[in-house]
Amino acid sequence: MAKSDDCMRILQGLLVFGNVVIGMCGIALTAECIYFVSDPHGVYPLLEATENNDIYAAAWIGIFVGFALFALAILGIIGIIKSDRTLLMVYIILMLITFAFEMASCITAATHRDFLTPNLFLKQMLERYQKTEPINSNDKWMTEGVTKTWDKIMVQNHCCGVLGPSDWQEYTSAFRLTHNDADFPWPRKCCVIDAQGLPINLDGCKLGVPGYYNSDGCYDAISGPVNTYAWGVAWFGFAILCWTFCVLLGTMFYWSGIEY
Amino acid sequence: TMLPLLLLLLLPAAHGTVEHVDYTPSLAKSPMLEGLTTASTFVLEQPRCVFDKYGNADIWLVVALEKTATTFNNSVGPGTPERAFQKFPDSAPAYMTLNATLANYPCPKPAGDITVLRVGSETSCTEDVNRPTCNGPLSGPGPYRVKFLALEGSEPVAETDWSNPIMLRTAKSPNSISTTNGGHGAGMIALTTILSILFAILLAGLVAMLVFWGSDSCGGSSTFSKPEAVTVRRYNTHHVYDQPAARL
Repeated sequence: MAKSDDCMRILQGLLVFGNVVIGMCGIALTAECIYFVSDPHGVYPLLEATENNDIYAAAWIGIFVGFALFALAILGIIGIIKSDRTLLMVYIILMLITFAFEMASCITAATHRDFLTPNLFLKQMLERYQKTEPINSNDKWMTEGVTKTWDKIMVQNHCCGVLGPSDWQEYTSAFRLTHNDADFPWPRKCCVIDAQGLPINLDGCKLGVPGYYNSDGCYDAISGPVNTYAWGVAWFGFAILCWTFCVLLGTMFYWSGIEY
Repeated sequence: TMLPLLLLLLLPAAHGTVEHVDYTPSLAKSPMLEGLTTASTFVLEQPRCVFDKYGNADIWLVVALEKTATTFNNSVGPGTPERAFQKFPDSAPAYMTLNATLANYPCPKPAGDITVLRVGSETSCTEDVNRPTCNGPLSGPGPYRVKFLALEGSEPVAETDWSNPIMLRTAKSPNSISTTNGGHGAGMIALTTILSILFAILLAGLVAMLVFWGSDSCGGSSTFSKPEAVTVRRYNTHHVYDQPAARL
């Protein structure tokens, strides 16, 4: 009947359109994940030192899933136009495998984001910043990463500690073991620094006079990029998967309607 | 009766009277200082416009533990072992430091200047017994009480009140920080649930497809025929299954 033929034509058109969108989203996902893996904000050493860098694993999976989605979208378009049952079956099975991987990536990114609380970074900073006696070479690597990252974050973002300079007073730390409290109530990088890299007023910084030290905490400067990475991978991936679900259902329906 | 009372009051001060100045030393009030009290230092207001009558005197800061402040003897001079910073608080009940004259505390205080005294800022002389008036960092959390004492030569001439007890900060161990998060966020749970349901539906669909591979879809009223077999349409009335036979 002409009507069913038209219905199928419309479905064919919709599925081709759906696959084009999937292909473009796949490329976008790959680009986004490459951006995250390149770590423009420099927070990777902090995540590495927590010995749990799942967000980065999720981003790596995202890169390959993006490519796979693009390739499979092309396969899908060819299969739909040719109305080839075998090709579409292959397409559906491979898409389901890709769906499973992307699902794992989204859930991993979302779960790991919940793991990164202020207390986690606080404890890591107190235990590792300027620690002088590393246990082994892995510990030394992580300690150097944490120290360099914190120095960079504190100077660039004009902040001190996770919640504030009082972090250094409220808790003992590896830093406190080598720097006495009277000369270093908080690290020198918490002072307002001039162009040469020296505090503009060391006594003012030690006293805690407003204007000579950084009074804000750095948690926002760290959690901002981490949140962007995690939510970028998790929720964009989720959106792609929802769209892919609809296209796959349509493809299954279309497949079942092809005369063998 | 007034005269004998006055004489009684004068008798104990055999070396001259120590005038009591009505001023209570306190922690610095303005501006708000982050390091007002740390684990080993604290910051006091300077005693401006307090010792104006004593232009020739040396003004010393006396630091004592709260429990030994009441038994403090003004006559014991600074620099003696009983007042040495290095011996505080074990064998010296108090120590004297931050020697200054009235010239260091001009009156009135210029507006906008930060006039404070940081007790505990000298870290180089903490072990040096040749520097008993060292302004070294304190080793315990206190509580401490301070007062200012003006000496002319070696005679005390004026003193302020004792301050309120000053407690320093105590640092906790980082092991006390709990890093277990309070459970998973709502977003993550919603994401996992929805994706799992979608994946389950798709798997069910795939299973249905595999089961019906090779046959037309059940109750298929909308069969899609390939463009070549256009002539079939004319016979597509009731008996769909007779198609192959009709064409032959």
